[in-house]
Amino acid sequence: MLAAHHLLKEVIASLRTVTAPAVADPYPKSQAYMAAVILEFIARQVEERSDSSKAKEHVLDDLFSDLRLLITDKVPSSKDPDQEARLCRLIEWLYTEKDHLGPEAFAAANQKVRTALRQLLDQELKIAGTKE
Amino acid sequence: MAEPTQDKIISYLYSKLPQAKDLSLSQFVQTAVGWSHEIYVFDARWKENGQEITRGFCLRKDPGSGLLRNLSDLKEQYRVLQALEPTSAPTPKVYWYEEDPSLLGGPFFIMEKVAGEATNPWSKVGKQYYAEAAKRGKLPRSFIEALASLHNLDWRAAGLDFIGVPGPGADFALREVAKWESLIQQSLRKPEPVLTEVLMWLKANAPQTRRLAFVHGAYRTGNLMIKDDLISAIIDWELQVIGDPMYDVAYVLSDLNREGSPLLSCVVEREFFIDTYQQLTGLTIDFDACRYYEILYMMRSTAFWLSASGLFAEGKSKDLRLARTTYSVPVVLNMAAKALGF
Repeated sequence: MLAAHHLLKEVIASLRTVTAPAVADPYPKSQAYMAAVILEFIARQVEERSDSSKAKEHVLDDLFSDLRLLITDKVPSSKDPDQEARLCRLIEWLYTEKDHLGPEAFAAANQKVRTALRQLLDQELKIAGTKE
Repeated sequence: MAEPTQDKIISYLYSKLPQAKDLSLSQFVQTAVGWSHEIYVFDARWKENGQEITRGFCLRKDPGSGLLRNLSDLKEQYRVLQALEPTSAPTPKVYWYEEDPSLLGGPFFIMEKVAGEATNPWSKVGKQYYAEAAKRGKLPRSFIEALASLHNLDWRAAGLDFIGVPGPGADFALREVAKWESLIQQSLRKPEPVLTEVLMWLKANAPQTRRLAFVHGAYRTGNLMIKDDLISAIIDWELQVIGDPMYDVAYVLSDLNREGSPLLSCVVEREFFIDTYQQLTGLTIDFDACRYYEILYMMRSTAFWLSASGLFAEGKSKDLRLARTTYSVPVVLNMAAKALGF
């Protein structure tokens, strides 16, 4: 049996060099090329997904700890097991409570959140990012 | 939903052209563009009072599961195009609108097939086409003139206020944010904290609208029919609003629409656009508002891609282009994050 990435590589090559060029109608032709593009993404996703999830968990754990230190007991507690959903609620809360927190506390917390968001985004871009 | 067959279209045309005899279709093509609606372009030929008539038509049909879901209304598009017909804005003439799904499987309208091409600017060939047209000089000016024709329009006199008029202050920007947030809520399949931060920033920083205008909402190459280096028609009427003209200007100025090209919308130099637009409209470009709207467009693009990939994931579309868009979400969010400084 072929390894998954090898199989995908072959399917992609076949779509690009055999299937798509043989199709005259522009719509199915573009579909064949698009299938090749999607399979390239999937190939990267298969290799990197588990590392990415662990890295994200680490980033979110650190962020929630840092925020507890920064704005102590003001951070609303959440039992949501989905850490990213919890972060969404926290961001909404920060903007809603901006006036109560005061500009300095808001800016400091928002800065921490944005730093974490950048790290989360970088994990997603490992899969979705275009080659530069 | 079933595709409208040529036979059904012929039957429909006979009902609208009662004098027609021996009606036939040719050059029948479903275009690969148009993610929200099915678009069919064809020529119809018939005999009428002893004369042979050939006319090009374009049929736009609701597929029942379009990219914009319930944000895009074919009837509104039809009425907007009707209202624009007597104005100086270059638009296709519309003929008939039908809501009855028994005719072709969904609501649709038929308009004229406009001469010219809406060349896709994202392909290598498209970029080259626009770069060469830019050097010749006519198209960049025509691009700005067509936009100015919309922004200079007396939209109340044209009867376009039926699409909704925002209130004073930041109401327009907040309405747009709310509109796209509703699409996100319909489409979101997992939490997107970066998107939450972008949305909250947009709500907290909405600019005041100084002057209301008729705004296309997606003014760029690819949504413009071009013939002989002139805009023959502005197409893709799905996102028009009465709102801040800077909303369109920001879209033109945005990096979203040039993918590496040094030219705005792949066709016009930045300074030339700014000078000519201001001269033709008498407006001063508000770059702070444009920066805000550019970030709003990034949020909007994210909403598009979430909707598109959601439709594929929900089994409502088999179009692989929609599946591919799931990988565009972090890329656009990255642009928004950078614009916000993180």
